[in-house]
Amino acid sequence: MDIYLAQLMNGLVYGMLLFLTAAGLSLIFGLMNVVSLAHGSFFMLGAYLAFAVVRETGNYWLALLISPCLTVLVGLVVERFFMRRLYRRGHLDQVLLTFGFTFVFFDAVRSIWGSDIRKLAPPVSLEGSIALVGGMFSTYRLFLLAFGALLALILWAVMEKSRLGAMVRAGVDDSQMAAGLGANIPALFSGVFGAGVALAAIGGVVAAPVLGLYPGMDGDILIPSFIVIVIGGMGSLRGAFVGTLLVGIADAFGKAYVPALSLFLIYLLMAVFLLVRPQGLFGIKGGVAPAGMVVAARAALSATLRVKVIAALVLLALACYPLLVPDYQRTLVSEIFVFAIFAMSLDLLLGYTGLPSFGHAGFFGLGAYTVIVLGALFGLNGWTGVLIAVPLTALAAALIGFFCVRTSGITFLMLTLAFSQLLYSIAFKWRDVTGGSDGIGIPDRPNIFGWSLSEPIVMYYVTFGFCLLCYVGLRRLIASPLGHAFIGIRENESRMRAIGYSTGLYKLLSFTIGGALAGLAGGLYALFNGFVSPEVLHWSASGDILIMVMLGGAGTLLGPVLGSAIFLLMKNLVSSYNDHWMMIIGIIFIACVMFFPGGVWGILSSRIAGRKPDSPPRPGTTPAEGIASGDKAPTGAAPGASMTVDGAAR
Amino acid sequence: MSTLQIEDLYRSFGSLVVTQHVNLSIGAGERHVIIGPNGAGKTSLINQIGGQLRPGSGRILLDGVNIIGQAPEQVLRSGIARTFQKNNLFFNLSVIENLRLAVQARRGNGLQCFRPARSLTAIMSRAESILAQVKLDANGSRAVRELSYGEQRQLEVGLALAGDPKVLLLDEPTSGMSPAETAGMIELVRSLPRELTVVMIEHDMHVVFSLADRITVLYYGEVLATGTPQEIQDNERVREIYLGARH
Repeated sequence: MDIYLAQLMNGLVYGMLLFLTAAGLSLIFGLMNVVSLAHGSFFMLGAYLAFAVVRETGNYWLALLISPCLTVLVGLVVERFFMRRLYRRGHLDQVLLTFGFTFVFFDAVRSIWGSDIRKLAPPVSLEGSIALVGGMFSTYRLFLLAFGALLALILWAVMEKSRLGAMVRAGVDDSQMAAGLGANIPALFSGVFGAGVALAAIGGVVAAPVLGLYPGMDGDILIPSFIVIVIGGMGSLRGAFVGTLLVGIADAFGKAYVPALSLFLIYLLMAVFLLVRPQGLFGIKGGVAPAGMVVAARAALSATLRVKVIAALVLLALACYPLLVPDYQRTLVSEIFVFAIFAMSLDLLLGYTGLPSFGHAGFFGLGAYTVIVLGALFGLNGWTGVLIAVPLTALAAALIGFFCVRTSGITFLMLTLAFSQLLYSIAFKWRDVTGGSDGIGIPDRPNIFGWSLSEPIVMYYVTFGFCLLCYVGLRRLIASPLGHAFIGIRENESRMRAIGYSTGLYKLLSFTIGGALAGLAGGLYALFNGFVSPEVLHWSASGDILIMVMLGGAGTLLGPVLGSAIFLLMKNLVSSYNDHWMMIIGIIFIACVMFFPGGVWGILSSRIAGRKPDSPPRPGTTPAEGIASGDKAPTGAAPGASMTVDGAAR
Repeated sequence: MSTLQIEDLYRSFGSLVVTQHVNLSIGAGERHVIIGPNGAGKTSLINQIGGQLRPGSGRILLDGVNIIGQAPEQVLRSGIARTFQKNNLFFNLSVIENLRLAVQARRGNGLQCFRPARSLTAIMSRAESILAQVKLDANGSRAVRELSYGEQRQLEVGLALAGDPKVLLLDEPTSGMSPAETAGMIELVRSLPRELTVVMIEHDMHVVFSLADRITVLYYGEVLATGTPQEIQDNERVREIYLGARH
């Protein structure tokens, strides 16, 4: 049988599966300006529910009917009772909310159906193969193609020919305008979200016999779908269709002919498209997708005596702590210090510059791998490794940033995510160097002034020192003209340009500094852990660090420190008692996004400053909204609320 | 030679032409007011000069140098600063921070990262003098979102002035202002250095005739007439199409 034809077939099938997820994702984004990170979860949920129905009834067709209906119900609950409450806030809050749900669904699926790969047989009527032009093709795959094409056709007909479709298209262009034309916007949002979920669930059901079922299949479909949307253009059905075919075929031929590079091929495709056409093939909403930044400009905490005393006491306690506790706790707090550096570095992007990076773990992982690989393969001292890791990560960040800062908001988020997955796939595939999925370790830790870092107490003081250094350095950066320029970009990028800032350059600088610091954190992590595996740069690791920043309070420096402490302590505590750590962190994160947008530090700092813990003032997502909220600004908004943490404005 | 010269500017959105055959010549220190009914393409014109909107064709010359196609930040550095019709400020920062951001951009201190911003006294004092110039000295440390709408309009002008422009573009500086605030804005524009060229969009005829050296009337993206206030008042077509429609 013609090998090209077979590959083409594989590519088309995979493309069709991608299309079902990407089309929904794209529609939801186009209309609601929200990238639903839970979209992969609905795909997974659809597949597993079908698995359950088939096991009960033995009827695949019944599963294809029931499973999407159930999944849509779940999706509507998420939309109606969670996302809708956040409509008035920035879109990014809604994105983060859907991220919280990925944890919940993942844990739910894992605890109900287990972590093993499950198989779902195709229906009996579609078993076997059919002889067609020049070869034998699996009947099920042919069915898949026809079914997908039919769905695409129906979708197209609804969007282009029906009144409902016209309303949705009007909403994609301008939701206010659509409302003016009599569209019921909340119902429209629910409907489109539900339809998107249905498509993803159907995709999951029909994909199950081809791809198998496993927890983690959510991410495996989500990331390529993102790439499809980036290539095809946001909010465009035609773009999603052409994008999936391109990605599917590139993937299939890549796997067949350049297996070592197969994962890179689609990222390469994406990078090329971004350079040539940043708005995608058929982009309706270009790279200017607005994403409201979540960060509140907090009231300046003036360095009163009270604050100074508290700070001194905390420092003293942290300095004495390792002398009083056993090794286990020294190690735990050392890890917190490492992740605190990592979290602060992300906050420079997210909280201060307004760049919602969802791929920051890529730089952390790059730093860690650099130290470990140089140590394991060349016997290089760990400190030399760190010295090499930091500039190397800075370089990588500058390179990746060059592509990413051309976009903003949601597009930026998806791009950073895709790039970190690229690094992940390198770590995963380049077995000779990275050890692949097994990871790689170094035999021993370096010394400092004659003391070995393998002593937990030495590690404690080293990480403590670095964490302190980073805090002080970042604080100075934030208070400097450059730091203020970052904050200006977060607040209002278009005005920054009108007053003479080449904002792209500034964003690239912020991205590079943040990346380099994440690389430092990664290098320290390598010394701390002595071992590294691809998980450290997986997109869920980027999510974890994002959670730490949000939990503690983005847009402050102590918030991320506090957030990483709470996150890691909780993880330690909860995971030693029960298995549902992911479910619990997911729920806490959802609650945090919904009810405490200022994070723990937001609540705490107002108490330290001796004020009532009022809800922190939130910036408008657009200048226009800013006017409205400015008029109605709560009186609780502290006078002199201004830049940064420490009254730099004064 | 005129300071700002616009030659045969053209721009459309699909089939909607917002600017065509626009030729303007504005001399140094001139107070030039652009009027026209809603949808005449006034803000589109300002956006094209400011770099926010890319013109389709034509030339925009600043002191004889073509600046067409420049990004907003390049336009600012070339010497044209603008305000916005809708307040477009850093609402969560204090008033003085707003101004200091603009001053430090112009002075090239934006990339400095080893000294606290507040220790750069040259920038600080320049920001404070602009603060006084736009009559916000009492509000320097307040967050912008706490200011009244009119005060925010004043800061709009302050942010543009901080760019030390040769040409200042004001997009409806008095829109939404009370009569007292409007009088203050007229005062403010009158107090600007006489060598500064000011191009201004305005609806309020009292403001227009208080400030204008010359007036341009835009109508459906085209220049209907340009001339002194007296010439414009006497122009039959303007009376017919614009003033006539208004009154």
